[in-house]
Amino acid sequence: MAYSSPSQEPHHAPLVPDLFTASPPVKDSLVTDTSISQDAVASSCRAFLAGAQEGIRVNRYGVPSLGRERHIRFLEKNLETLPAAFKAADASRPWIFYWCLNGLVLLGVDVSKYRDRLVATARSIQNESGGFGGGFGQQSHLATTYAMVLSLAIVGGEAAYRVVDRRAMWKWLCTLKEPDGGFRLTLGGEIDLPLDLPRDSPSHTPEQLDLFTGLADYVRRCQTFEGGISARPGAEAHGAYAFCALGCLAILDAPHRIFPRYLDMARLISWLSSRQYAPEGGLSGRTNKLVDGCYSHWVGGCWPLIEAAIHGPTIATSIENPSSGVDDLYSREGLIRYILCCGQDQTKRGGMRDKPYQPSDAYHTCYVLNGLSSAQHVTRILSADGDGMLPPWTYEVLSHLDEAQVYNEEDRVSPTDPVYVIPEGKRKDIMSYFSSRPGF
Amino acid sequence: MPAKNKGGNSKAKEAEPKQQVSAEQPPKEAQTIREFVWQQYWSANPIHKIVEEQGLDSLSPADKQTYLNLELVRNTDKVKYLSKKSQRELWKQLSEANVPLRGAPRPRDDQWGRDKKGRDIGDYTLEEYAVYEQKKSRISELDLESTFFKRNRDRAHWETKNATTGEVYIITEDDVRAERGRRQEMAALRSELYGVTSNPYVNDPEWDDVVPIPQEEPEGAIAAISYAEDYAEAMGYLRAVMAVKEHTPRCLRLTEHIIDLNPAHYTVWLYRFDIMKALNIPIADEIEWLNEVSLEHLKNYQIWHHRQLLMDLHYPALQSDEDAIAALAADEHGFLTEILEKDTKNYHVWGYRQYLVRKLGLWDSADELRSVELMISKDVRNNSAWSHRFFLVFGNPKQSTPDSLSMEHDPKVPADIIDREVSYTQEKISLAPQNQSPWNYLRGVLVKGGRPVGSVREFAESFITSLGEGEDKEQVRSTHALDLLADIYKEAGEKEKADLCLRRLGERWDRIREAYWEYRRRKLEE
Repeated sequence: MAYSSPSQEPHHAPLVPDLFTASPPVKDSLVTDTSISQDAVASSCRAFLAGAQEGIRVNRYGVPSLGRERHIRFLEKNLETLPAAFKAADASRPWIFYWCLNGLVLLGVDVSKYRDRLVATARSIQNESGGFGGGFGQQSHLATTYAMVLSLAIVGGEAAYRVVDRRAMWKWLCTLKEPDGGFRLTLGGEIDLPLDLPRDSPSHTPEQLDLFTGLADYVRRCQTFEGGISARPGAEAHGAYAFCALGCLAILDAPHRIFPRYLDMARLISWLSSRQYAPEGGLSGRTNKLVDGCYSHWVGGCWPLIEAAIHGPTIATSIENPSSGVDDLYSREGLIRYILCCGQDQTKRGGMRDKPYQPSDAYHTCYVLNGLSSAQHVTRILSADGDGMLPPWTYEVLSHLDEAQVYNEEDRVSPTDPVYVIPEGKRKDIMSYFSSRPGF
Repeated sequence: MPAKNKGGNSKAKEAEPKQQVSAEQPPKEAQTIREFVWQQYWSANPIHKIVEEQGLDSLSPADKQTYLNLELVRNTDKVKYLSKKSQRELWKQLSEANVPLRGAPRPRDDQWGRDKKGRDIGDYTLEEYAVYEQKKSRISELDLESTFFKRNRDRAHWETKNATTGEVYIITEDDVRAERGRRQEMAALRSELYGVTSNPYVNDPEWDDVVPIPQEEPEGAIAAISYAEDYAEAMGYLRAVMAVKEHTPRCLRLTEHIIDLNPAHYTVWLYRFDIMKALNIPIADEIEWLNEVSLEHLKNYQIWHHRQLLMDLHYPALQSDEDAIAALAADEHGFLTEILEKDTKNYHVWGYRQYLVRKLGLWDSADELRSVELMISKDVRNNSAWSHRFFLVFGNPKQSTPDSLSMEHDPKVPADIIDREVSYTQEKISLAPQNQSPWNYLRGVLVKGGRPVGSVREFAESFITSLGEGEDKEQVRSTHALDLLADIYKEAGEKEKADLCLRRLGERWDRIREAYWEYRRRKLEE
């Protein structure tokens, strides 16, 4: 049920629940730095959420439409030559590729047109000793390698897959492995919570020590007393690490089996749920920190995995109405309202942002849109037969249909792979390609 | 800007037909170098001036002959095709006319070029032009000296002997310094005259032996950055010295420069660390520099990793010296306090702080506990400070089981510590009951102590009045208390009361999380 134009009902005040316009019912009087900035942000968000912002057209629910064309232009511009001020991104250019390409696919753009250019750029960044650095002549780094492999998977096609020197990369990955189960991000670099690793390493056998040894246990030690997950054992629970941790476990085994084995699910869910605030509707990354659009993904992206884990595997054909019987654990409406009302740059510039009055950038555009995608879809684990390297389970991502959908149907973005955060189906494509080439 | 083409424009004749300027009239004083050069030209070529201004026919027959003769001599090589007799006649006529055979070429208006501000140099005043010329000749002079320097350095390298003195050429530090000065002066002059930006490394003789490796960007590269010249130059030199693993003081300075331009460049940090090790740079010097960089770039991540590597490197030498460890801890503590004052929840800084506690064994450090307590008292909602407190209390190897998980009971933690933490937390909760940080902490403490949540039942209940007794009567001062009470009642088997807490949270007190509270209600049934 979508209402595309407010002009159809010009005299109707938008239907915005007071939850998104009023102060929270319980509020302390004590003022500290944290409460000052929280109050300021909540009040600036309220103005946008009320649907009464000058110059912004809203539907009957007080929600503006997705500025698809503006956001596409913004991302495409970020893939062209960037001004000198972008030198700060010099050591993380593969992330720009990933953010823009993934964001464009979410917005319905066919990015195969970037394949040749990406292949040429990727080759110039790959090191002979394995992996990709942040740019030409830079040491290989786990994070930029991850972003580059995802980018290649997104544009797809053999020409892109063939760029990766798998033998060299595997050797390099082995040198990064730490005895405690974690990985160094780069040789000589810091130890961090392991990022999602592709499971296509030939070294993977359950009996031997391999790249996966100790990973799940490392993740277990990163769960904090708050229930969230931190970068290292003992540190503060943080949304970005929660997603990385769940993604890591979901690569090792199906979520409904592995999550409860390594994590206190009740406390984790409680912590994840606490990340959503009213009136903002958006998500924060840590206790008592402010909402930020990027956590629409880092925290919001945990929900499809958690919900799939709680629900367990389903037989594909049995889902007739995928939305029925969904155990939602958070307010999809609140998140979608935050994203469309507060997360969009409404000027010609386009792009998505942290919060009102912050400039848009490629990072936020990608992760805010991803958050929107996860809020607009339902993820289920499907039992499937193992196919070579492909795990014996897979996911189905279906449109989430709601009786009172506050956004216009044309503003639904594309479905996303819940673990690798690339367009749905792209994971299968790249894995099928490599599973037909067992040696390297 | 003065009008151009003061002379020489044949169209001037049509535009100003009545101004029959004769060549003999004394010229006005030239305002610009262009005018001056024209005046010079006309005074040397009076007949040409008449031709250009009044046409060939206005000349006397003798002048006309002279003019044609001059044109023939100056502009063509046809004289040699004339007969010997005609040639003799030509030279005779020219000699009688007494005109210079080789005058300055006719000025062109585009001959001057523009300066860095886009101003036509022809429009310079004579004084300005003199200064300009002086600078140009200074550059040539310096360039020549620079060439001598390079030649002599080359000779010194091959140990060539000076032919007159018989001594081997040498290059002293003074020579290098002088050369650096010359190049800087040339760079400054070039920038002043032509707006050419100076490249510090090209200008530094110390880097002459390094051939920079430019960034290779394939055609059509995506998201290519159009680097500023200084960054691109420095990076070119970095790639060159990294390729040969050079670990020298000049490389250390180069990394400093690049870090200043882009502190997020992880490769340059790792390289810097290798250089430090190779050169045995005193840690104190490095830390001092690092402190400055850290304060300038609060959100940077590499800085803290570098600091950690420094500590790892430094620590073995100190390990047995308690005083040295204490001094180091005090220095680090001072700096961390300063930086956390500016950015109280900085994840990287807190991460480093925990590393430091583990490395230097600061678990029982009074400084450490006191400063965290101070931070909590300044902002009781600072969750990073609460997290650090948990780390200090339950990670302390003297009073906890090594590698005990955060979410499990640790029987080694003494009961009085659990008591102390419970009462500290309760006191902080009472300041602002809707602050989730201490509530989370309280749950964490109870888990560590192996105590039932029911042990804080009364405390939690004190924030709730008349639950479920009507909208007007019901009062909730903390949704977190209600959340905890749901677990307390569940633990006690009072399912209905637990359900009421969760229902009221979803209905009224924390509606944004309604789906979650409903999920919790369903879990009560399991």
